[in-house]
Amino acid sequence: MSEILRLTEAYVKYGDIPALSGVSLTAKQGDMIFITGANGSGKSTLTKAIAGLLPLSAGTLTRTPRMSYVPQYEEGDRDFPASVREIVLTGTQRPGNFFHTKADRQHAEAAMNALGISGLADSEIRTLSGGQLRRVFLARAVCGQPELLLLDEPCAGLDAQTHETLFTILRGMLAEGCAVVMVTHDISDIDGIPEGRVIRISAGRILTHE
Amino acid sequence: MNDFLGLITYPFVYRALIAGAMISVCAAVLGVVLVLRHYSLIGHGLSEIGFASLSLSSALGIPPMYIATPSVIAASFIIIHISRKHETSGDTAIAVASSAALALGIAVSSLSGTASNMSAYLFGSVLAVSDADMWLAVVLSAAVIGAFIVLYNRLFLITYSEPYARSLGINTAMYQVIISVLTALVVVAGMRITGTLLISGVIILPAVSARIIARGFRSLVIIAGAVSLVAFIAGLGLSFVVNIPAGAGVIIANAAILIITRIFGGRP
Repeated sequence: MSEILRLTEAYVKYGDIPALSGVSLTAKQGDMIFITGANGSGKSTLTKAIAGLLPLSAGTLTRTPRMSYVPQYEEGDRDFPASVREIVLTGTQRPGNFFHTKADRQHAEAAMNALGISGLADSEIRTLSGGQLRRVFLARAVCGQPELLLLDEPCAGLDAQTHETLFTILRGMLAEGCAVVMVTHDISDIDGIPEGRVIRISAGRILTHE
Repeated sequence: MNDFLGLITYPFVYRALIAGAMISVCAAVLGVVLVLRHYSLIGHGLSEIGFASLSLSSALGIPPMYIATPSVIAASFIIIHISRKHETSGDTAIAVASSAALALGIAVSSLSGTASNMSAYLFGSVLAVSDADMWLAVVLSAAVIGAFIVLYNRLFLITYSEPYARSLGINTAMYQVIISVLTALVVVAGMRITGTLLISGVIILPAVSARIIARGFRSLVIIAGAVSLVAFIAGLGLSFVVNIPAGAGVIIANAAILIITRIFGGRP
């Protein structure tokens, strides 16, 4: 199995305040990694650093460019005039490809179908509930056919049925070689999760690898 | 009506019509991105920098576009850079730059004795549109619309969520530069017809009207372009009928469409 992600002795600071201190992490094809810890422990900072949204003040990051990221809170405007299909299709964009292919559209339709939002494809995102919007962002991440999937608290706002749908999708992606890194507040709260490594962090440092 | 149609046979009228229609459509399309990215004021700031450039070029006897084009593009970089590095001071940067530029333009034109020529640039004039201006507007507009079509998916992604675009490995800073250059080109191309004081309205108002009735990004872009074209033709006609500057007529038509859209076309 080839390596998808290697983070070595990573440090991240917000101003002078350290948020990550010497964190190392590797992931290979098909790895499932859970990152857990208390509020403010650095979980989201770690995923943002892996996503390339926060610069490392020290350390190195090497990862596949085929990565999809589902943030804990969407940065986009909730009232943005866009349909569900338009948002999901953005997940297929990569540097160098400017136009959506037929395959991109098929992946987007398949992802919306898998997450049960096909009926909302032409709806404006401003009309969706929080849980429906969460499924849109998951569909967007899935349809990009990533080699690395970063999920920051993906279960927040999802009902039990959508949990199960998400985990079914994740199992399929893991079987196809996608590595998944999932941040979750409390892993014991989630039933039926795929098996994987658990990394507990506190105050920006890794406490345990299980 | 017949009088207005008869006017189209005059060369200065069809030059203004062709140049204005092209600029109106590309300004509105670009305006969608600027409004949604909360850069609505940048067109206003750039147009007043354009006015200062035109004053300077008039005083020096240099063709206006030679100074206006590079200086407006440079100013767009500076304003966007300040807005991105210090988010809360973006509007302040535009206000400072635009008021200083307007004052500089007025001072230069007063000292050089060219102040009487400046009203055409401030308020717009169809009489001022030469063949060269018309072709410049056509080429610049075609370039802006062509770039928008090619980069449509990317501009949509970056406009919706720049952090998400960055996570996909998209060079968002480069696209910000492209947006800045396109905005500067539209401002320069449109200053002759609508005037430096009103070109920002041509960029922003159609997008604001279209946002009231559009149901998605693609429809927003198409409706904004259509609204702008209709408002330009109506505004140009109005300017002939009641004898007011073309820029004022176009903005009045745009404002009327916005009010009508707000009253009758509100989103549920």
